[in-house]
Amino acid sequence: MTFKPMLKFLLRRFVFLLVTYIVATTIVFILPRIIPGNPLAQMLSNLSRVAQANPEAIRAAEKTLMEEFGVDKPILVQYGQFILKALKGDLGTSISYYPRKVIDLIVPVIPWTLVLLLPATLVAWILGNTLGAMAAYRRNTWIDKGVLTAALIVSQIPYYWLGMIFIFLFGVKLGWLPVQGAYSQGTIPSFSWEFFVDALKHYIMPFASIVLSAMGGWAIGMRVMVINELGSDYALFSEYLGMKDKRIFKYAFRNSLLPQITGLALNLGTVLGGSLITEIVFNYPGTGYLLFKALTTLDYPMIQGIFVILIASVYLANFLVDFLYAWIDPRIRLGQEE
Amino acid sequence: MKNREILFKMENVKAYYKLEEVTVKAVDDVSLEIFEDEVIGIVGESGSGKTTLSNVISMNIMKPLTLVEGKVFLKINGEFEEISSMSREEVKKKFWGKEITIVPQAAMNALMPTIKMSKYIEHLAQSHGIDKNELLSKAEKRFEEVGLDPLWLKRYPFELSGGMKQRAVIAIATILNPVLLIVDEPTSALDVVNQKIFLKVLMQMKKMGIVKSIVFITHDIATVRQIADRMVVMYAGKIAEISPIEEIVQKPLHPYTQGLLNSVLTPEPEIRKRGITTIPGAPPNLVNPPSGCRFHPRCSYAMDICKEKVPPLKEIEKNRKVACFLYMEERK
Repeated sequence: MTFKPMLKFLLRRFVFLLVTYIVATTIVFILPRIIPGNPLAQMLSNLSRVAQANPEAIRAAEKTLMEEFGVDKPILVQYGQFILKALKGDLGTSISYYPRKVIDLIVPVIPWTLVLLLPATLVAWILGNTLGAMAAYRRNTWIDKGVLTAALIVSQIPYYWLGMIFIFLFGVKLGWLPVQGAYSQGTIPSFSWEFFVDALKHYIMPFASIVLSAMGGWAIGMRVMVINELGSDYALFSEYLGMKDKRIFKYAFRNSLLPQITGLALNLGTVLGGSLITEIVFNYPGTGYLLFKALTTLDYPMIQGIFVILIASVYLANFLVDFLYAWIDPRIRLGQEE
Repeated sequence: MKNREILFKMENVKAYYKLEEVTVKAVDDVSLEIFEDEVIGIVGESGSGKTTLSNVISMNIMKPLTLVEGKVFLKINGEFEEISSMSREEVKKKFWGKEITIVPQAAMNALMPTIKMSKYIEHLAQSHGIDKNELLSKAEKRFEEVGLDPLWLKRYPFELSGGMKQRAVIAIATILNPVLLIVDEPTSALDVVNQKIFLKVLMQMKKMGIVKSIVFITHDIATVRQIADRMVVMYAGKIAEISPIEEIVQKPLHPYTQGLLNSVLTPEPEIRKRGITTIPGAPPNLVNPPSGCRFHPRCSYAMDICKEKVPPLKEIEKNRKVACFLYMEERK
């Protein structure tokens, strides 16, 4: 691989990403503000109960709060402040968890989400693609039929429904696994063996529900693509030349993997956002769960904060994939030279 | 005439596509010999069974194509082997690449796109149990012979132009010195200049003894004239006429051949005088071909016997075979 075109290629991608990032964060700023409702209303009504409904005190409180969150200023000024602060790494103060900082709320839940979704996504991708390719290689045998049928069924099951079935079966009926949370209530996260085992028990069901439901789609896609590639001209010509079947299969596999990598990247990018519904179903303390709470309380700074991080991670994943892609497929790397 | 050693022969071959409800008789009772050191051009319109014939020659028989009847022989080390009695897998393992190689219709996309060609050669060496450096140096030589810089081997196929790709494909196809090379519509995607270069390369391969004989499948009569020693005209799954190339162009016997040649522009004055005509009608459906001679519904010379009996392929003049009652005793 020559170094210079690669560098140029990556630089171009980077500039492109920077521009789209600005656009995306702008949208994230605008969208929650379009949702009808006043984020401070909930807080003020709580306050009014405590403060024995002293209208003057409440009005004063509202004024301070509006200043604090900056919602009294024109929207453009708010936007400018948001960008400036975000650049400094300050994502603001949460409204629903006032006065805690958004960043302090997000950071502790990120590991939980990553630990759940990163392995689940990768395992589903690897298993699905392997099964799909195997089915294509042994086309029209019982392996192929078995994989295809299972994949079709599994991919159509919503993962949260699968999660609920799991909870009912293994949690409630059989009582083998805990039904909610990432660890038992009352335990404090630590690096001890006991905690690890406890967390693992909580981990199995959400992990399995995501892997199982995501795997089917990968397998179906991979199977079709490998079959397609095996019928292509280069596969035929290789056969006519007496190339071994295994090698031709490797070619087909390699060329089929390219689109699958794009899919994986898009998936990995959204990992930081958590799996919203899975986390709700299992009451799992991840970013998805946090986002759900923020959305229901119209916590602008929190919504923005989560998305700023999420979008950045999607872009990072995309960027890495471009890099990977250029490395695997010479047509992309060299095609943009001129 | 040069030596007439037979390299390949097929006898009364019927190869049908057996679909769920219908059977397509793509090659129906065809016998053919290919001699050593010759280029044989197989000509016919689309759907006449040319490609199926090439699949039979290489025993590339895959469902739904089925060899219903007939035998196929290939001479290997001086002896005929009945390759039709072997399975596709067996033929592939024993002969493909080494004895028979097919250059498929879409030769443009015939090379594995995401690896360098040198890597491809290495994989080929591995598959055949040959030392890879030996095959690589052979590939370099072969590239030079087809007029490509050996440095191109270190490139990806998509970096080559169309004509270069085609030559690279031929270089790689002949790398194991197959005795029989089958090229299927190789020139249809090329401009005239590249066509000419390509044909030259192909002839050179034969002259140098890298390949013994070439089967050239095309619907382009002009290219066949430039390269072939003999021409086989196929119509609706059957051979209409086999003849040395000059004689068939000067004096086509079968009415279909006449029609075919009349529909092509040629520079010769005597042919130019004839002008251009077309064959009326369309080729028949091979699921249910016409009775008797399959060409009779479109033939202006059709007689009663043509509707009832299938004309056999008979030698009318020296080296010329034709399947037409016009040249036979039975005509009355």
